[in-house]
Amino acid sequence: MSETAVVVSTFVISYGLIGAYAAYLHLRLRKAER
Amino acid sequence: MTKVRVLFGFAGAAIAVGLWLALTAPADALQGEYSRIINVHVPTIWVAYLAFFVTSVGSLMWLWRKTPRWDRLASSSVEVGVLFTGISLITGMIWGNAVWGTAWDWGDARLTTTAVMFFVYLGYLALRGAVDDPAVRARRSAILGVVAVIQVPLTYFAVNLFRTLHQTQSLRPDGSTMPDEMITAMLVNVIAFTMLYAALLTARLEVAKAEEAAAVESALAGDAVKPPKLSEVKDV
Repeated sequence: MSETAVVVSTFVISYGLIGAYAAYLHLRLRKAER
Repeated sequence: MTKVRVLFGFAGAAIAVGLWLALTAPADALQGEYSRIINVHVPTIWVAYLAFFVTSVGSLMWLWRKTPRWDRLASSSVEVGVLFTGISLITGMIWGNAVWGTAWDWGDARLTTTAVMFFVYLGYLALRGAVDDPAVRARRSAILGVVAVIQVPLTYFAVNLFRTLHQTQSLRPDGSTMPDEMITAMLVNVIAFTMLYAALLTARLEVAKAEEAAAVESALAGDAVKPPKLSEVKDV
């Protein structure tokens, strides 16, 4: 795996986890407000 | 909801600028492209430290005032802090594997104290999940929230107290060995991730408020709103 691929993967994993948590909060809020 | 969207909008713009700077700043002469990982690794652990400090403040305020808003702040901040600690551990392992030749070393003080901090705050969340009574839950987690924050300075200064594998701080009062472009990129990302923390914390607080309101509504309604069981429905 090239250096660039490792760096890009690291960024994708990090932002992906944060995005997934934000989506989880959004869904949890919608469920609570129903 | 609008406030959360505005916060996410600003945080998203700041993250985009930070990402652009992270990918265009010069790479380190020895580490090459891998050095760009610092732009996620350092900001995420900074946010984790901040989140756990906010938890300790919320916990202290709950012990003093006993108002639910401080319990909400403390517990919401832990959840975000655990996420960012986890990301910092993952990015650190990827980076370590590339430049140290190993993803993990239990003999390293910074790695071990960070892992312990991660599991202690996971335990905080497990503790909250295990106690049903809101007042008991708030008191127990507030005590843990105040005590556990000692790990933040311990983790931060672990690299100075025990010189093992992990490097010392990138920015020190006596200057830095990093070029200005790399420092600028890292600092912009620290600000961007702090804004992201503010947005996630605000969203998590809204969830906590909505769930508490739903629980109160459900308790007040009692059995009156429960749908009848199928066996209780008579044929017509």
